[in-house]
Amino acid sequence: MTTSIVPQLIVSGAMMGLIYALVAYGFQLTYATSRSINFGQGELVMVSAFFSLTLTKLGLPYWLMIPGGLLFGVVLGLFVERAAVRLALEQKSEGWVLLTIIMGLFFFSAAENIWGRDDQPFPTPITSDALHVLGISITPLEISVAVGVFTIMGLIELFKRTTLLGKAFEAVSVDRDAAELMGISTTHTVMLSYGLSGLSAAVAGILVSPITTVGPTMASVLVLKAFSVAVVAGLDSGFGVVLVGLFLGSLESLTSYYVGSGWREAPGLVLLILALAVRPTGVFGKAVIRKV
Amino acid sequence: MLIVKNLHAGYGSSEVLIGASLEVKTGTLVALIGPNGAGKTTTMRTISGIVKPTKGQVLLDNKPIHGMDASNIARLGLAHVPEGRRVFGPLSVEDNLLLGGYRRLPRFFGFHKKAGPDLDRVYELFPRLRERRRQAAGTLSGGEQQMLAIGRALMAEPKVILMDEPSMGLAPVIAEEVFATITRLKKTGIPLLLVEQMTRKALEVSDYVYVMEHGRVVIHGTPDELRKDDCVIAAYLG
Repeated sequence: MTTSIVPQLIVSGAMMGLIYALVAYGFQLTYATSRSINFGQGELVMVSAFFSLTLTKLGLPYWLMIPGGLLFGVVLGLFVERAAVRLALEQKSEGWVLLTIIMGLFFFSAAENIWGRDDQPFPTPITSDALHVLGISITPLEISVAVGVFTIMGLIELFKRTTLLGKAFEAVSVDRDAAELMGISTTHTVMLSYGLSGLSAAVAGILVSPITTVGPTMASVLVLKAFSVAVVAGLDSGFGVVLVGLFLGSLESLTSYYVGSGWREAPGLVLLILALAVRPTGVFGKAVIRKV
Repeated sequence: MLIVKNLHAGYGSSEVLIGASLEVKTGTLVALIGPNGAGKTTTMRTISGIVKPTKGQVLLDNKPIHGMDASNIARLGLAHVPEGRRVFGPLSVEDNLLLGGYRRLPRFFGFHKKAGPDLDRVYELFPRLRERRRQAAGTLSGGEQQMLAIGRALMAEPKVILMDEPSMGLAPVIAEEVFATITRLKKTGIPLLLVEQMTRKALEVSDYVYVMEHGRVVIHGTPDELRKDDCVIAAYLG
């Protein structure tokens, strides 16, 4: 069995990498419309997960809890836009950086006070009895992460390509003024992007919690990795985040096995620093050429 | 009908417009000419709401629209073909046109079907756009992009069209084509406000002309009147 340890590590790490990719995708959505990102995105994942856990504890079956959790994520996203982002954008200031960090801290304290500091298990009907495929063991729970991540990203991309509202979303990300001239409200489009970003955070929370448990500290870890993924791939790279997410997840799992589990956080940071030094537009990002 | 009264606007603390007034009557083509930096583009951007006026009025069909967001003004039926075309480069030609009709089309499904007749009309006017409808707009030539920008404005079935320097950066032959298009549009009776550097051409196609200098209108009249005006001859037609 030792021969298959490397593929095994890669597969297990890749599942976590998909979660990073989904959180990074949330960054991309809001960056596209407003050139702003929610630095408290990790807290959105965590609070949505806690909220979903509460719904479950109130007796809601798993499959009925999901729409509730997702709706809560959308509301949180809209709240962040209204409370922390809109004013800064209206004044053409970069204040959203600080304001979204503060909002994250607020959610963190709120979560500690409402749900406590301890990590809690997140029940799921999906089994974690391993299946063996080609010498690699993988659990249905891990498979559900992949299915969930690709489903939500696929649905959002489908929305962007096939509906007029989705095309308007793209138009705003290309040229805000020209989009306004078509009658497309940039304010509403930015709201939409924060709503979708909150939705993707909630999906990430519901998918990852059964594997990692839910706790207030899950936020900071997630947001750091997702940020690395977003920067390394490029904030306008679309599905580039999936590849980088898979790569980082696998690399982390290999590092913690061969170097030591204390080094698990290192690859993300190293990649982030490398990307910023060598290719700030990201591996899959487009360099912005400004015509004067 | 579009009426602009005593419009003031600027960027930051610098005032660019200091009391611009003009009128575009139903069924006419009005040209706005003047030297660089006179405030022609700013006038257009202020009418369409991208720049907020600090003073003055803009009336579209006697309804005040100044101070509204550009998207709301566009939804009332004012189409602005901006300087430099500003087509959505990564989107297809057809998607650009569909977005032009945004104010009238359903947001989710069935928009393609509803836009069908209008798309056909634009494609009839610009057959090259039909050939390239699946192509990314950014890959079109400058002339084709200008046609697309005009077609996109027509998709809105606007009450009035503002056109900012449609001949800019185009080869003379292509600019000629653009002017032919403008003449055809004029025959449909849609009111048009045209900013143009090519003064002679502008006088040829327009019914009425405003000359701007230093943020205000200094002379206005029919093209024939202006052709006899010594100042205009010296400054623009000499």
